[in-house]
Order: sequence, then structure tokens, then C-alpha cells
Amino acid sequence: MGFWENIQHIDRRWIYLLVAIAVFFPMIVVMHFPIEITPEARQLYEAIDALPNGSVVMLTFDYYPSAMAETQPMSIAALRHMFSKDMKVLTLSNIPLGGPSIAERVTREIALEYDKVYGIDFVNLGYKANYVAVMHGLASSIESIFPSDYSGTPLRDLPMMKHVKNYRDIEFIFVVADNATVDYWISIVNAQYGKPVGSGVTAVVAPKMYSFVDAGQMTGLLGGMKGAAEYERMVDISGSAIRGMDAQSLVHLLVIFFVIVGNLGFFMSRGKDGR
Amino acid sequence: MRTTVPVIVAFLSGFVMVVSFFFNPDRTFIGRAQDVVLQWVTIVSGFTLVLGVFSIVRVNGRAVVRRTEDWPFKLATVISVFAMAIPAMLPVSTTSVGGKIFYSILPQSWGSWFGTGTGSIYDWLFNFVDSPMMETMFAMLAFYIASAAYRAFRARSADATLLLLTAVIVMLWRVPMGEAFLRLFGDSIPDYLNTFIMNGFNVAVQRGIIIGAALGAASMSLRVMLGIERTYMGKG
Repeated sequence: MGFWENIQHIDRRWIYLLVAIAVFFPMIVVMHFPIEITPEARQLYEAIDALPNGSVVMLTFDYYPSAMAETQPMSIAALRHMFSKDMKVLTLSNIPLGGPSIAERVTREIALEYDKVYGIDFVNLGYKANYVAVMHGLASSIESIFPSDYSGTPLRDLPMMKHVKNYRDIEFIFVVADNATVDYWISIVNAQYGKPVGSGVTAVVAPKMYSFVDAGQMTGLLGGMKGAAEYERMVDISGSAIRGMDAQSLVHLLVIFFVIVGNLGFFMSRGKDGR
Repeated sequence: MRTTVPVIVAFLSGFVMVVSFFFNPDRTFIGRAQDVVLQWVTIVSGFTLVLGVFSIVRVNGRAVVRRTEDWPFKLATVISVFAMAIPAMLPVSTTSVGGKIFYSILPQSWGSWFGTGTGSIYDWLFNFVDSPMMETMFAMLAFYIASAAYRAFRARSADATLLLLTAVIVMLWRVPMGEAFLRLFGDSIPDYLNTFIMNGFNVAVQRGIIIGAALGAASMSLRVMLGIERTYMGKG
């Protein structure tokens, strides 16, 4: 068996080892490559930044723990941006497992840094089944869909919710998602109720969202960990997405290297066979 | 009867949703009817969750009782369902539903373990068991994707070559190191890629897919409303 045939049949554990090295190497040697801001990410940042201080914004946690590496940094950066402008933040999740707990933990952690008080500056609505019905229902009355918050406190006992009754009282909706719920935030909440919606989604979901941004139905987009890193840079924080960019850069380059070597092996061995 | 009633319910639910879309909910009854139907949907969805739990317990419980292959894993599934669900549903204080009776038996200090709040059993299981497991499973994809890219991503045809080149370019563009590399060939190259690949070809294709899927969903909804499509009732 020649060199190129050997290359074709390399033990996959060598590939796994190289990927592991590419992930761990940036933890030892920090490389700082500049993070360029895409127009879509800048549009989202500017839309939130342009809101008056004290505005009510909705931040959704529509993601499972499996996508946290990409999506949680978006939520954290968004919360820092919103709290720094004294906005009132209403969080909810359309995902039964993960989203509500992550929203509760992350929002309370960030709120502490900005001296924000639960019930006055932010409220976590939690989860309700059937997101299509939830999105429609919030248009008429938030309290009819969520009589109480995530912890079971009735909404009428929360000072912030005395002035937030439905979408009319919310200035902007920032959807952080790893699944199709973001489509419904566009087709129901933006298209039917006219609320501006921006989103931060996983890299897999992002390509589809470009068509909504292009049509003006979505106000800005963060795609994957790179999108989260862009938002962190604009908010001027050094979060986990910026730190993760080095590892992601190396792994992307490694995969490209594998594709090139794999194809070289394929063509060289095919040439030898005379096919 | 078993077929007629579901078809009538499906027709009326769909009809109300379609018609009420065109009426002002603040002024007309039919406009407000949408809210009523949606409240019903939320209630029915709650019951489907209960049905889901019942189903998972029945299927896995039967396998445990019969000691079928991999029964310990099925037992773990059943235990996990109850370990997450029961502490989350128990009252957190005397003001919760059923809390007075519950805390006349158990000490009130146990309240912090129940519910879904920070420090509860549910929260602990989520943060230290469920979340790490899901993240680990997803993280392992990086290794499989790298291996698959090496073995399967071949330029066997013109189409495959085009796909491969686009993938390589987008992968380079989407990371800072790759972006810095692309800028060596021209400062505006990353911007061109964003404009032509993501906002050009990508948007054109995605719109086609979205419009096609929407038309498909509309025709399927119509079939369900008219009783032509009955597979949701377990019928062909």
C-alpha cells in the first residue's frame, strides 16, 4: 500500500487527537486575532443601543444546554448591554428543559453586577407549552399565558409587570435560539404584531436567518460563537465567545486541512488505479 | 363517530384561526375567538406532556418488568423522569398549592429543595447532570465532523466541488484567524463573501426553501381541515 492509500486509511483516532490538541492549545497559548464585526451583528447592537434608557425588552432563552457554548455568551452580552442602559428585561423560554433554568441563573448573576432587583428591573416568565399559542397569546395578555413567573409568584405582585401587559409595552424582542422557534418569532410576532425582532442563533441555524434580515423582518443577527464574540466586542467585554474564537479558528483550519489532504489522497490513489 | 368528531374539531379550530386573523380582536367577537382557541391549545398541550410522561413510563416500565435487553438503561430513564419531575412539582412553601398540608408533615426548611428555583433538587440535577451530559454529547460532534470531513467530503463531481469550495471559504471567513488570512488577499474580501455568498446565493436558496415549506404547510393544513388528511388520527 502506497503513501496516499495509507493516508486514505489513517486511523480516526489520530484525527481525534489532532482535534483535541487544536481545542486545548489555545488554552495554553493565547492568540488574539482581531474580531471583525459583520453588518448584521452591528445592526442588532445599534437597534438595542438606540432604544431609550429604561425601555422594556424581551430576551428569550430558546435553547437547550447542548448549544450553550454558542448561545449563552449571546444572552450574557445582551443582558450586560440592556442592564447598562437601565432597561427592564423580561425573559422567557419556549424550551421545556434548559432555557428556563439557564435564564434564571444567568439573568440573576448578571443582574447582581448591575444592582438590578428582581421584579422591578427584570422578570423571568419561565416556560409554557406550545410556543405558537404562547406567542399569539402574549399579544393580548401576558398574564393570561403566564399567570405567575418562573418561581410561582403571581405577575400582579411584581412591580415591573404592572406596566407590561402585552407586546405593545415591549420595545424590542431579542431571540436567542438554537431551533425553529425563531421562525415563529418572525412569522407571528414580527409579521402579525409588528414588533421588531433581532436574533442570536447557532451557526447551523444562521444561514436561514439571513433571508429574514435581508427582507427587513429581522433586525440584526448573531450567527454562532463568532456572532456572540462580535456582540461581546461591541459591548466591550471579554467573554467566553471571544476566548473560544482561538479554539474555533484552529479547529476550522484543521478541518480544512483534513478536507484538502483527504481529497489529495483520493485523487492521487485514483490516478494510480488509472480510474 | 371516532373519525367525525376529530375532523369537526380540526375544521372548527382551523377555521376560527384563519377567519379571526382578518378581524380586529379589540372590536369583534370573531377577532377575540383566536385567543380562546389558543388558550385551549395551551391547556391541551399541558395534557400532552402528561401523556408523554405516561407513555415513557409505560414503555420503559414494561421493559424493566420483563427484563428485556438493556433494561437497566430503561430503569435509569424511568428513575430520571421521576427524580426531575417530583421534586419540581412539590410545594416550595405554605403559600403554594397544597403547601399547608405538605408542611404540616415535613419541616418547612425542606422547601428550598423543591420547585425549580436556584438550589432546588431539579436545579441541581439540571446544572450538574443533565446540562454537562448534553454539552458533552454535542461537543463530541466536533470529532465526528472532523473525521467525516476527512473521509467523506470528496470532490467527486462538479456539484460536490462547488459545495466543497464554498464550505471551505465560509469556514475560513467565519473565524478570526481565517478572516485575517483572507484579508491578506484584499481588505474587502470578507465583506464580499458576506455580500455574495451569505446575502446572495444563500438568501436566494433559503427563500425558495422557506416559501416552498410554507406552501406545503398551508396545503397540509387545508387537507387536515377538510378531513382529507387523517394520519394524525392513526389512519392512512
